[in-house]
Amino acid sequence: MKSRIFLLFAVIGFAAGLLAVSGCKSSVNSVENAQKTGQRQMISDQRVITDRGLARKVSIVGVNQVTTPGGFLKVQIELLNTTRSPQRFSYRFEWFDASGMLISSPAAPAFPDQIDGGEDKFITGQSPTPACKDFRVKFLENTN
Amino acid sequence: MKKILLLSLAAAALPLIVGGCATKAHYVQTGGHESLVTVGSINIQDYIQAASTMTSELLASGALDKVPTPPAVLAISRIINNTGEQIDTDLLTKKIRVAVLQSGKALTTTTFGMGGSSEDPMAKEIQQNGELNTGLGTARTPDFTLSGKIIQTVARDGSTSQSTFSFQLSLTDPRSGLAVWEGEKEITKQGGRGSVGF
Repeated sequence: MKSRIFLLFAVIGFAAGLLAVSGCKSSVNSVENAQKTGQRQMISDQRVITDRGLARKVSIVGVNQVTTPGGFLKVQIELLNTTRSPQRFSYRFEWFDASGMLISSPAAPAFPDQIDGGEDKFITGQSPTPACKDFRVKFLENTN
Repeated sequence: MKKILLLSLAAAALPLIVGGCATKAHYVQTGGHESLVTVGSINIQDYIQAASTMTSELLASGALDKVPTPPAVLAISRIINNTGEQIDTDLLTKKIRVAVLQSGKALTTTTFGMGGSSEDPMAKEIQQNGELNTGLGTARTPDFTLSGKIIQTVARDGSTSQSTFSFQLSLTDPRSGLAVWEGEKEITKQGGRGSVGF
């Protein structure tokens, strides 16, 4: 009887282990030049977190911005997947004029994206008009 | 007795199951995360994504700024559809046109089309009448033309299918015939055969 129970637990344990291994992906290794030539203009950001799970898994490392020669605001956000498995999410940029009014654009999609385990990734957005002065980026976890 | 009880319970649960699965018609945000995703066709969010990415790249390139009298005048040339479905390429080009106009960097002509055709025949007629009356040409020759291609690449492995849609655009200076800007956006979707996602 005892050996049967042991066997049952062994089978369940093996199956659980197999599932865990198959669900787990290897994380990203990277290499880059140590002495950086380019200087990023980092800006202070304000965050509103309502999905702590997503914020924990895909953390925002920093935000930098530049104004292009054409007068457009270009924003770059550095993200880090703190887990070892790929994470799917979507993001959408919103742009505001000098009066803080939202500027609507026909081409303002929610970009679906994926970040591999341990990967450090940049997402960028450019304002639709030179009149944009501020921005907001919304992140949403893709469950499927 | 037990069988009857089980059957009646199953019969009672059936409408609940069926009712729970049915989706009531409702509005969703266009291009939002609730939009349906199909592997074998271009969804609206794909057009929006492609248009947004390529417009940003076009504006950032500064190509539209290099005209003697800004804003630049843009004419829409041929967009070739090399996908397996019939599509209206205006779903891509109109978004780009609106975004470029909104940026203040370019205007699109609606009286200048391929083979003498025009998007707005009445505007063209009025323009031609004006030219006849004054004897002067009033139409601004386009500074640039926008042409492109949409290509679909399909791959299958067992029950998994994958489609890559490549949106390619070229901005050409008609005076020199040189492409002054080129952009490409690829969107890849994967899923089981006939699968639909969000």
